[in-house]
Amino acid sequence: MSEGGAAGLGSRGTTKHTMERRTPVFIVCSPLPHVGKTLVARLLAEYLHADGRQVAAFDVNPDDFALAEQLPDLTATADIGDTKGQMALFDQLIIADDVPKVIDLGYRRFDQFFAVMQEIEFEAEARRRSIAPAVLFIGEPDQRSTQAYATLRERFPGLPLVPVLNAGAEAITRTRSYMRPKYAMAPLQIPLLAPALKTTIQRSESITAAMDKLTAANMNQLRAWFRQVFLQFRELELRLLLEELKPALQLRA
Amino acid sequence: MAKPVVILVGADKGGVGKTTVTRALLDYFIAHNVLIRAFDTEAPKGTLRRFHPDITDVVDVSSTSDQMKIFDTLAATDVTVIDVRAGLLATTLRMLRDIGFLETAKKNQIAFAMFHILGPSIASLDEIAETATFVSDANYFLVKNFINNTTFFEWDPATYNSYFKQIKGAQEITVPKLNEMACEQVELASVSFVSFVANKLATGAPASYSFVLRGYVRHWLGTVWADFDRARVMDIVTPEVQRKAATR
Repeated sequence: MSEGGAAGLGSRGTTKHTMERRTPVFIVCSPLPHVGKTLVARLLAEYLHADGRQVAAFDVNPDDFALAEQLPDLTATADIGDTKGQMALFDQLIIADDVPKVIDLGYRRFDQFFAVMQEIEFEAEARRRSIAPAVLFIGEPDQRSTQAYATLRERFPGLPLVPVLNAGAEAITRTRSYMRPKYAMAPLQIPLLAPALKTTIQRSESITAAMDKLTAANMNQLRAWFRQVFLQFRELELRLLLEELKPALQLRA
Repeated sequence: MAKPVVILVGADKGGVGKTTVTRALLDYFIAHNVLIRAFDTEAPKGTLRRFHPDITDVVDVSSTSDQMKIFDTLAATDVTVIDVRAGLLATTLRMLRDIGFLETAKKNQIAFAMFHILGPSIASLDEIAETATFVSDANYFLVKNFINNTTFFEWDPATYNSYFKQIKGAQEITVPKLNEMACEQVELASVSFVSFVANKLATGAPASYSFVLRGYVRHWLGTVWADFDRARVMDIVTPEVQRKAATR
């Protein structure tokens, strides 16, 4: 499988930072199952899509393509268990087409994904093509989660590693500081959502469709919740952009 | 006048990945700007020439005129690599002895190095003993090639060590496994490893190889070259030649 379109970009040869061309790649992941990862990936995809942009989502969960079921028009399934699958995913991710990408990375593929990413030197090539990868790490008050975050930080020092904390998880880690890894960036906080409303989202093909199913009170609750989450996503985008621009800004100072 | 360098790459049987190692070696010297020529003895076909057409000639080592072709060009380049046909290592060494080449090497007029690609069976070790008698004045490199991963070396470390110690200054090199699909694609592309990684066709024009496969090859080649560095392969070439190469 070939890369297609990007051939011309690498040959420009300059290191000038261009704000016009930028392809964000969000890797939503956790080494643990059932942490709300698919919901976060879905919300991010819908947020990006609502902003009027095209978005490409990849569901890397061989056991259960939940994201692909919820957002079939935006999502492609991928299994990186073999070389062909790795090519199908990563050869797409390295295309600098300005289309933001969201990856829902299943816990079973967590280790393999980052192993491949490291071996093929994805980050270095991405930087050359103005592709901006960032990890959204769903943090849990669990040793495995803490360890995985710390290890990712060591292996990928230049990669933005954003902790995403569900309200319940955050409360626990606040009281048990040993469970809290050293965060590389300020965390994203997902506020509490009533389970019934969460189910409504999962069973709907879009946010608008979800709203239609609810009573006025619940609709208001859900709308308020979406607003908080979307504000966080917007802030995150700005923070990531700022991180990238820092070197250029410092030079001018 | 720099001493000509001749490197023989051989194996007792086919299928151990000898030509793959030769290709990695050629790329290594080219990357260091060392002038290099290669002779592929798999006449008439020549697998090596497919990947490095600009620097490779196919020859028949039993033909006198081809023998002359090889040895007459020694002085014209920094390093000459001879990829010896599988199973013909001992025969080729005997031929070299008979035409006086080994004598010339002994008199220090030619720098001689051997890369012996080991197969998994014990018979392969026996061949070390046989070739050791010919190559006492050579830089000797024993290469374990795991590229296909199917190689399981059935000899135990003690046995291996006893053979290894028979050759003065022998160095061991390990070539790790390379992803099968990546291997296949490079074969199909018929380009050098470096060209594949650089995403170039044989003509030098841009190609569209998979980024993933290029990454696997880049990582593998980097590991192989690091082992060449560790085994001091570059020391085969004199410091003077290395200096000249560095300025190219």
